[in-house]
Amino acid sequence: MAAFAQLVIIGLLAGGIYAAVGVGFGLVWGVLNIVNLAHGALVIIGAYLTWQMFAVWGVDPFLTLPIDAIALFVLGYAVQRGVINRIIRAPLLFTFLLTFGLNLIAVNVLLLIFKSDFRSVTTAYSGAGLELGGLVIPYIRLAALGIALVMAAVLAILLSRTRVGLAIQAVGSDRDAAQLVGIDLRHAYAVTFGLGAAVAGVAGGMIAMIQAITPTAGEPYTLQAFVVVILGGLGRVSATVVGGLVFGLVEAFGQSIPGSGSVFANAIAFGVMVLILVTRPQGLMGRLR
Amino acid sequence: MNGLTAGFAAGPVLFEIDMEIAPGELIALVGANGAGKSTLLGTLSGLVRARAGSIAFSGRDITNARPEAIVKAGIAHVPQGRRLFDTMSVEKNLRLGAYARRDGDIDAEVRSVLEYFPALKDKLNREARTLSGGEQQMVAIGRGLMARPKLLMVDEMSLGLAPKIVDRLIDVVKDIHAAGTALLLVEQDVLVALDVAQRAYVLENGRMVLAGAAADLRDDPNIRKAYLGL
Repeated sequence: MAAFAQLVIIGLLAGGIYAAVGVGFGLVWGVLNIVNLAHGALVIIGAYLTWQMFAVWGVDPFLTLPIDAIALFVLGYAVQRGVINRIIRAPLLFTFLLTFGLNLIAVNVLLLIFKSDFRSVTTAYSGAGLELGGLVIPYIRLAALGIALVMAAVLAILLSRTRVGLAIQAVGSDRDAAQLVGIDLRHAYAVTFGLGAAVAGVAGGMIAMIQAITPTAGEPYTLQAFVVVILGGLGRVSATVVGGLVFGLVEAFGQSIPGSGSVFANAIAFGVMVLILVTRPQGLMGRLR
Repeated sequence: MNGLTAGFAAGPVLFEIDMEIAPGELIALVGANGAGKSTLLGTLSGLVRARAGSIAFSGRDITNARPEAIVKAGIAHVPQGRRLFDTMSVEKNLRLGAYARRDGDIDAEVRSVLEYFPALKDKLNREARTLSGGEQQMVAIGRGLMARPKLLMVDEMSLGLAPKIVDRLIDVVKDIHAAGTALLLVEQDVLVALDVAQRAYVLENGRMVLAGAAADLRDDPNIRKAYLGL
């Protein structure tokens, strides 16, 4: 029983990060219909920003998160407005190629600036944790889960309550009709991508506190974001959060199977994704359109 | 509109269209399926590019202006198939209709739309996709009205709706017209359109082949036979 509870906690803590990574990816996919292969790169750019501010300028890593968000929003807005908007109506393959290329550029720029060394953010409180019946829950991971949930909630409220959020939803629902009510498509797309990038950046900042990073560390996160969004179901922030938590749980329990390891856990996680695609293609919480 | 030619990558759909709508006028645009009626509306609202010719509205050139600029200038387009924001509530659909307006009282505008369509009053919180076809058309027209247009263009309002509901919508169209808004009705159901309109244009294979008083077109047996398929 204790082992079970332990796995649940480990799974949820990891799931919070997956949710944070997935939310921005799902937003961009749902509204812009772009599967952004550079999403992991955005995550890692956020991670390096946090590392830079912490290691070089001595800023507390949690205080760097809002700066990550703002910086990545600006970057995301500019990339969408200046580059991706040009091919937004092109077939899916073109957006694949373009975001794949953007990913390569981002990774190589990071390699140029930061080299391929492992970097980590280790604070005075990095080792501290909450002791709970023999299990130590690191405060940082707990905070990361909390921040991920709050961030998702803020994004959901922004989308459903604000003028710009309604415009984004309208564009996702029917872009011609959105234009006919006077929504500037280019701006709405760029804000959407900027928001997705901002959330990715914060996720990256949290990842920098939890694991060592390299410029190529983002790539697995693109894949995981993809799985998380499919698990939860496209089109709603809350669904992606559920997808992320479920993915974390599946992975934790997968790893606990005797003889399994982290590699096998991945296979199980992707197996679950395939299972979901076959049995419930709209995702656990998705709606069929 | 002068000598307007427009179309898509595959080639032009409209050729040298000339058309004029006076303030407050109620105009019908009729023609067979595929004649280019919807493309014409799309060109007017900025969704389709004009290749030649010009469009002027209220003394301003709006040829190939951005759709949001055209809405702001005062042209609202209720597209064919209603194209509501399906998973959003009726109220949000209506409010989004006023997106281009920075002025004025949006709440008051919602109330005035509900005066045209009292049936929507107790359905404001319903998801748009759960409404009946007629109600969805009401929301679509209401969403267009929320922009407070000087010209409201309604594409295939009657398509797929029961005659009784079409009659009710036509009554609302008359009310909107009486309130001073110009309307451009695009209809395959020629009789519905010609009954209510003051003037009418007939589009055939992308060319404007006929224009005149709606009653004249309706009552001329030769025209009925040659162009209207009646």
